[in-house]
Amino acid sequence: MSILDDRLSSAHALSQRQATKPRSGSPIRRAIQDFLLSDYFVLYLTLFFFITAAIFFPSLRNPGNIANQLQNMWPLLAVAIGQTFVLILGGIDLSVGATMGITSVVGAIVMAQTLDPSFFDRSPLWGTLMRPEGGVLAGSEWAVPVGVVVMLVTGTLIGFLNGYAITRFNLAPFMVTLVTSTFFAAFALWLTQSRNISGLPEAFLNLGKGDILSIYLGPKLTSDIARRDILSFITYPFVISVGLAFISQFLLSRTVFGRQMFSIGTNRRASEISGVPGKSVITRVYMFSGFCAAVASIMYSGRIGFGQPSLGGGNLLLDVIGAAVIGGTSLFGGKGSVRGTFFGVAFFVLLSNILNAMQLSPFVIDAVKGVIILLAALIDITRTRLINREQRV
Amino acid sequence: MTSLLELHNLTKAFFGIAAVKDVSLSINAGETLGLIGQNGAGKSTLVNIVGGVVHSDSGHMTLSEQPYTPRIPADAQHAGVAFIHQELNLFTNLTIAENIFISNFPRMGVLRTIDRAKIKALTGELLASVGLDIPSDTYVERISPGERQLVEIAKALYQDASLIIFDEPTTSLTARETERLFAIMGQLRAQGKAIVYISHILGDVQKLSDQIAVMRDGELVACEPASALTIKRMISLMVGRSIEQLYPKRTTSPTTDPLLTAKNISASGIVEDISFTLHKGEVLGLFGLMGSGRTELARMIFGADQFESGEIVVEGELVRKPSPRSSIHNKIAFVTENRREEGLLMSIDIANNISLVSLPEFARSMLQVIDQRQMFDSARETANTLQLKSGDIRQQPVKSLSGGNQQKVVIAKWLLSRPSIFIMDEPTRGIDVGAKYEIYTIIDRLAAEGSGVLIISSELEELIGMCDRILVMSRGEIYGEFTREQFQDERILRAAFREQDLPMMSVHDGQAKRD
Amino acid sequence: MKRFSRKISLVLFLALVVLPLTFTIVSAQEDITICFGFQDLETEFWVAGHRAITDTLREQGVEVLEYNANEDPNRQLEQIRECIAQGVDGIIIIPQDGDSAVTIINEAQAADIPIAVFNRPPNDRSRGITVVADNVSATEQAVEFIAQKALRQYEITGEPITPLILVGALQDTNAIGRRDGFYNVINRYNERYPGLFNTPIEVATEWDAATALANLEAAITANPNVDFIFTSSDFLFPTIRSVLEPRGMWQPMGTPGHVLLAGLDGDATACMLIDEGYVDGTGVQNLFLEAQLTLDRILQAVAAGETQPNEVLLDPGFALTAGNIHFQRSDMWGCVLYDEGFLNQ
Repeated sequence: MSILDDRLSSAHALSQRQATKPRSGSPIRRAIQDFLLSDYFVLYLTLFFFITAAIFFPSLRNPGNIANQLQNMWPLLAVAIGQTFVLILGGIDLSVGATMGITSVVGAIVMAQTLDPSFFDRSPLWGTLMRPEGGVLAGSEWAVPVGVVVMLVTGTLIGFLNGYAITRFNLAPFMVTLVTSTFFAAFALWLTQSRNISGLPEAFLNLGKGDILSIYLGPKLTSDIARRDILSFITYPFVISVGLAFISQFLLSRTVFGRQMFSIGTNRRASEISGVPGKSVITRVYMFSGFCAAVASIMYSGRIGFGQPSLGGGNLLLDVIGAAVIGGTSLFGGKGSVRGTFFGVAFFVLLSNILNAMQLSPFVIDAVKGVIILLAALIDITRTRLINREQRV
Repeated sequence: MTSLLELHNLTKAFFGIAAVKDVSLSINAGETLGLIGQNGAGKSTLVNIVGGVVHSDSGHMTLSEQPYTPRIPADAQHAGVAFIHQELNLFTNLTIAENIFISNFPRMGVLRTIDRAKIKALTGELLASVGLDIPSDTYVERISPGERQLVEIAKALYQDASLIIFDEPTTSLTARETERLFAIMGQLRAQGKAIVYISHILGDVQKLSDQIAVMRDGELVACEPASALTIKRMISLMVGRSIEQLYPKRTTSPTTDPLLTAKNISASGIVEDISFTLHKGEVLGLFGLMGSGRTELARMIFGADQFESGEIVVEGELVRKPSPRSSIHNKIAFVTENRREEGLLMSIDIANNISLVSLPEFARSMLQVIDQRQMFDSARETANTLQLKSGDIRQQPVKSLSGGNQQKVVIAKWLLSRPSIFIMDEPTRGIDVGAKYEIYTIIDRLAAEGSGVLIISSELEELIGMCDRILVMSRGEIYGEFTREQFQDERILRAAFREQDLPMMSVHDGQAKRD
Repeated sequence: MKRFSRKISLVLFLALVVLPLTFTIVSAQEDITICFGFQDLETEFWVAGHRAITDTLREQGVEVLEYNANEDPNRQLEQIRECIAQGVDGIIIIPQDGDSAVTIINEAQAADIPIAVFNRPPNDRSRGITVVADNVSATEQAVEFIAQKALRQYEITGEPITPLILVGALQDTNAIGRRDGFYNVINRYNERYPGLFNTPIEVATEWDAATALANLEAAITANPNVDFIFTSSDFLFPTIRSVLEPRGMWQPMGTPGHVLLAGLDGDATACMLIDEGYVDGTGVQNLFLEAQLTLDRILQAVAAGETQPNEVLLDPGFALTAGNIHFQRSDMWGCVLYDEGFLNQ
């Protein structure tokens, strides 16, 4: 019984216990139940997968690999946090990918140090904002700060557009964000004529990959260490995303805004009758999601080294929504946490890592990934049902 | 004459509260039984047992002298019991014919394909027999509520029902459609069908029925031939005994300082020209039948719904554009009719539910950071005042509380914002007698502390037990006003049914008449 | 409750037992490991390119780690970093675009791992091993072959030849190169044999079959006497067919009314159409030569301990025609796929 008690020591588990009938069944089943009900379930599952896989694939254990996976998480985490907020509200933001694309382009138009006429002379901005000598603020010391601010403002504005359309015209978030997504994806391609905008300032590239603190494991044999042996640990993306995560968690759990988000996601009618400013909260949440997408866009654009109109396309949306949902955020609103989303992002990133290490045929790898995500979702449903059963009086 | 359906000692309780108590009743073929009673008297539960929608806890039934135990509605259908509901159960996106045959399409051939020709012919016959002259392939969404009712009857005829239950069939019908329905019911009766007719329009019940059964608090209090009952007697049977002991003694009397005044509030088709005043320390009752506009009025006053003309004045100040937020700012609280949909965040913990209205008050600094300790302490304090029975309020979700305690959470949520005006719509619906008493005590205390309380209820006894004054609404208008000394349930009910000459007709400024 | 818990155990069993079991398929260790990152396998050309690389490498006993980035340059960057962390000996990529190729080359070279870019050249060719298909050269070879035929026809009939070119999306360097190659040959022949070719009709396609169909319909309706059609990519042959066939202009070689047809890429459909005699010739990137060049160079760098090899390798391409299809068949990636029954799948 004492082991059980330890397991139950988190406040959350305790609450479930207080609200429940006494448990029945064998100790093993109870242990399984407690495992399933834990807040850290997704983390346990992810670590279990990874450790098991690492036994068979030594390359996964490589410190370089682990450092890499950590770096891969940061941009995805930023955009997934925004999505988590929207999902908690009971909405969905399908436009995060397109928001990343357009902000990436807009930022590059501000910062680019040179632009190739043969690529861009058909762009509608050629000769005005885009010139052979570069973008709007080419060469200026203000290019990077202004570019970053412009990117963040653009993302936030797109979020505002989403929120305004959803609240003002009572449209389904699914429709609105799908439309903005299509529009801005096309807009980004039109502005750039499908071209990437390269030649971004070094200071901006650092936001995508710059190290602050690196680690070297191993003996010091020579005076210079090969670049490949230096492991990035604390990087700018690390600081940016972890900072964003803490701020988000604080907003969510400690502020009026956060509580009102949960209440609207749980029951919008009851909330509005209780004086919660529904439209304003909803609009602000979509703005936050746009902001987060812009933060992710900064990191992705800086890392890849150019403004990319197609940034955020492809399967990214699946990863973003998938990470939030696997992390325990409900698609029906009212439930979710930044911590859960962090675990969900870890799950997605490490899953890709494991599947790559397995060197499955590229034809089947995505199918396998799909099956595993489905399995994880099934486990989560089982879990939710179990929690509901426990809470029923 | 043999009885078609017999009910023997049926009893059904929900969460320990008896909805139907030991009811025995029989109905003969070719006979119409009127079933009347106040809201919550157990009529619907009783017919739901017959229709297989709910199962009785004890007792048994026979149909045509065979034991009858419908487990699901389809069992009742097969046994020949048809149920025509208040809210119609037709698929509006299908045609009339498809609706009639939905559960039993005629098939043909080896492939068991649907026999369209046969359906068409049969539907034609059925529609003719209910006097409906519409092509059978018309979509149901395109026909009127009255015509839909007739389609339901045609469906019952196709299923060869021997007993047809009508639950408030005329609420959405025009006068002409009602006449036609009654004519068809007459024909059905002549064909030897048994009919159960439930309605609040007592005149209709008397006209149509052979026998009238009256229910009160789950019990069958009378079953007499219609000819032997007057409407007046029906009402007194429905109201029954005095129930003083269920209510706490009121400790204070109302003042004459106006808190909230509604002036000529109108919204077309919903409420018309409503004026009244709520005073400090007053408990004002708003009584009316379902659909009389009482809930809608409450929502308009609070700002949850819009009205077209009229004014609301709170403590001498005109409210420009009422909204929940402006009302909360004006210290108005609104306990809604349905806790689940509009009152509570069911899956969220008690503390956060209680603090929802007052959240901005706990906010500190620009960032609107919540002072958690203060918030939880205040929530706990309020919960304690109301004697809320729960576990840790910071952890336990509201959905795991009993109905009465859930209602206390709703009240606590509003208490915390220290309102001076309470609007409570059906504050005791669906909760047990003990919890009701506690809620009444809270209401009395609020009034004693100088708040004004507006209670909307379809339970007349509770208004008589608690209020200083009762307004009666009927078809969107205030149709009568009764002060405490005038409280007499029969007169109030008659006003609600518009069955009589009133002590005071259309009251426009209630407060003037009080003194 | 019993059924429910059985369900839980089933899900748990699947998750905890079956999946880790699949990890046990461990691949054999070899001496040299090459990381191969590509973008997608959604067109036959890339399927062939992918196969050309992996097969050749494995034949030489090199272990290949494959990464599919699904057209996402950021994902490809993550995958290449993963390769670097694993300590591969060399990297070959098919990048999504010229810009991301530059970023990835820098990433690899910073980690002292030789890298080669296959088929889609980086914008900056000064770093890394780059294999470039020479679009101009391959187009010239194909159009040259047709021009010879046209000249013969002109000498017999005396009628000038009306050529038509389906132009790709002109932001694409490939499209520009192919158009240039086409005009180079036409102009050269017109200088030597004045009056041989009328002014070519240009039809824009934006690399889109629907656009191509609409514009080609209009062009052929306006100029029904077109004698020679060159398409900047073979994938448009079915489109051309659907325009020509109703007008009776889809005839095999040697039949009166045959329209001279040439293209570039050399896909399986083109191979089939050359076999059947409808298409006269197509300029082919010598995919197998490119693969061979890339691999040889990267393996050479690995063997020599070169960490940042920089070199541009050129693939001149060749023209596959009805005349040489028999002996050049095995060099042509489309024919290899075609012969394996790719089109019947």
